[in-house]
Amino acid sequence: MKRYLIKRLLLLVPVLFGITFLSFAMMYLAGSDAVLQQMDATGLALSREALNAQRASLGLDKPFLVQYVTWLGRFLTGDMGTSYVSGEEVFSVFLSKLPATLELAAVSMILTLLISLPLGILAAVRQNKWSDYLIRFASFTGNSLPNFFVALVLMYLLSIRVPLFPVIADGTGWKSVVLPSLTLAVAMSAKYLRQIRAAVLEELGKDYVTGARARGIRFSVTLWKSVLRSCLVPILTLMTLSAGSLLGGTAIVESIFLWDGVGKMAVDAISMRDYPVIQAYVVWMALIYVLVNLVMDVLYQVLDPRIRLGGEKA
Amino acid sequence: MKRKKTKNRGSGLAFLLAVVLAATAISGCGRETQTETDLSESGKTFVFGDTTFNAENGEADINPHNGNGGWACIRYGVGETLFRFSDSMETEPWLAESWENLDELTWQITLREGISFTSGRALDAEAVKECLEDLVENHVRAAGDLQIAEIMAEGRTLTIRTETPVPALTGFLADPYACIFDVEAGVSEEGIVQGTGPYRAVSLTTDQELRLVKNENYWNGEPKLDGITIRTISDGDTLTMALQSGEIDGAYGVPYASYPLFENENYTFSGCATSRVFFGAMNFKSGITSDPAVRQAIAMGIDKEGFVETLLGGNGYVAAGAFPDSFSFGGGAVRAASYDPEGAREVLEEAGWRDTDGDGVREKDGTPLVLRWLTYPSRQELPLLAEAAQATLEDIGFQMEINSTADHNRIRADETAWDIYVSAMVTAPTGDPEYFFKYHCLDSSSSNDGQYHSDRLEELAGELAQTFDTDRRAELAVEMQQVILDDNAYVFCSHLRMNMITKSTVTGLTAHPCDYYEITAELDMEG
Repeated sequence: MKRYLIKRLLLLVPVLFGITFLSFAMMYLAGSDAVLQQMDATGLALSREALNAQRASLGLDKPFLVQYVTWLGRFLTGDMGTSYVSGEEVFSVFLSKLPATLELAAVSMILTLLISLPLGILAAVRQNKWSDYLIRFASFTGNSLPNFFVALVLMYLLSIRVPLFPVIADGTGWKSVVLPSLTLAVAMSAKYLRQIRAAVLEELGKDYVTGARARGIRFSVTLWKSVLRSCLVPILTLMTLSAGSLLGGTAIVESIFLWDGVGKMAVDAISMRDYPVIQAYVVWMALIYVLVNLVMDVLYQVLDPRIRLGGEKA
Repeated sequence: MKRKKTKNRGSGLAFLLAVVLAATAISGCGRETQTETDLSESGKTFVFGDTTFNAENGEADINPHNGNGGWACIRYGVGETLFRFSDSMETEPWLAESWENLDELTWQITLREGISFTSGRALDAEAVKECLEDLVENHVRAAGDLQIAEIMAEGRTLTIRTETPVPALTGFLADPYACIFDVEAGVSEEGIVQGTGPYRAVSLTTDQELRLVKNENYWNGEPKLDGITIRTISDGDTLTMALQSGEIDGAYGVPYASYPLFENENYTFSGCATSRVFFGAMNFKSGITSDPAVRQAIAMGIDKEGFVETLLGGNGYVAAGAFPDSFSFGGGAVRAASYDPEGAREVLEEAGWRDTDGDGVREKDGTPLVLRWLTYPSRQELPLLAEAAQATLEDIGFQMEINSTADHNRIRADETAWDIYVSAMVTAPTGDPEYFFKYHCLDSSSSNDGQYHSDRLEELAGELAQTFDTDRRAELAVEMQQVILDDNAYVFCSHLRMNMITKSTVTGLTAHPCDYYEITAELDMEG
């Protein structure tokens, strides 16, 4: 186990190197830069001298490789640089946005489980009854709706028609987290529902469930104590996938609700070619995907000892 | 053994849950503390949503010497300038009481009496000198515009000596970057400065919000509100819904498509034309647009009125030249080609551009009339303009190739890659016409990528740079616009209509042609 963990963590080094180089190259190839983007946004032309001076002060006049190596050199010494747009230190900006993203991710995940677990189980237990059809229809609908549309519908219904929650979710007060997290939970629950239903159905068809019935054990006891426990591995797999994207920030939802997290930060940075901020985001994404997957692998083994890590022998 | 495993699973899940809950709790607490402010929210308060108050627009804070922070500083009533623009875009004294030119290089400005910064320091010539010196040292455009050689301060008299004649100096001193603030009091870590305006900033979070309180010692009347919150709302739909739900009292930047929602007695619109113009610059190095007949046909072949009325839903003003009607040298002061598709066809026929193979595209000497239209998507109107032009120009025998890309700045530097470059630029940020020609149309202009040259225009520009008389400057501006229009070097399609929408209970929030003045001491709310 220890060797496996060290090996996985060491893999982070080439992953980080590769992904930061690729993202830097892609932004460079996309053309334009922070100075020119700002000129477009304001509609105010700059003299050649002023343009050149601004680009030189940010190092944008240097060749691509020099810019990347300069960034990498700073990064290796723990300096993430300063934002080309706001002039703020990238690391402190990133840290200031992280709590909002963590909060939204955690609340969305809890809401998703609260919605999808009971409904998924209900759909499986009532297979091919009207409640199953209804839940599956809702799941299909939820899967088909894009996040921004759900966000606007929820805003219209719950902020304008019935003013329960604010449109502007600035993170102050519990009410402001409801609509953004509900928006995310709608789409995630739709996916979870089907997976949970399928996992529960598969377990219900197994011999041990029939045996338990034959021995006169109440169905509810079998369901809660045996079936659901066996379903934890597929649920964890789903959560791993969701955690990665949630912790990376959900750009559209954050932008619509003005939720000041890392997703919104990344989208703004991309549109303004703010390389240091984009790179910080890329590093964060690589870290969370590697670490979340690692934690889940370990949890798999805890939940189901039959699973072996990294070719370990049983 | 079995019991032990069960216990492990339980504790693992409990740990997971604990981590999630702790993250929620910790993050929640952190954010609560972050938004705490010393602003009193009691009394009469106003909340304003704005799509443009963000770092993307260079407004990371309200420090006038940092990027475009001056726009936020002046718009939200924190800072004021020595001069301001009247409704007809002429400069008039503001913090200054009067001014005179001692000679072409020397300007003597007398300041008003009885004005204080919100820091408590009295406004005098020394304070203004400190601020202007800091401006020239730090702002990217100011040193080049103002050309200041020396500033002298004595009591309320400020004397500025420039290196070269700068006839538009009062206009530059009315630019938002020239907001006067107390340099001695400094700029806070958040980017807050102490100005002389009707409101004082008390907290600022970049790309989030700015909080203001009444300046109790304001020199020009008593501000009617106790507190103001400016919220950055970059998404147009969110801004619309926030105004509908009543979370904000006024909005700047509501999408055109949402206007009908507010066209009723509960809301008030205040709008006017700004000097931001959607215009095309011809490439004189292109085999296509170097032909005067082609340029003339393009100018005659774009249905500006149709574009403004249909695609913009009336939310714009048809442009003739570079400046809107509100300027003495703008609007109808110049003659531009009107939409005349039949005339455009004749012009092309006479110049030898004919559709010989019947495919709908004209040719000349084997070269098809393909027009490469370069533009960018970050201004919602530009792709619409490209589509509108495509419809009418293809009707007269052009084949349009539209390239709407964020990489337009690199492409336009390559003279072989485009024929017409269509952008949205502010033509008179200082109310003076010189800016547009200086940056876009002359041999020395940084944005003259189409390499347009006119001996007459260069000559007139030289005269404009030396002319102090306002009326003569306006005459020169008209003549210079006419030169570029007669050469069909530029096609000006539409001026942006800037709108602010407020609840009908709000009074005193009025759109201004320069787009600088929004929150003033007059702003008030019923109830």
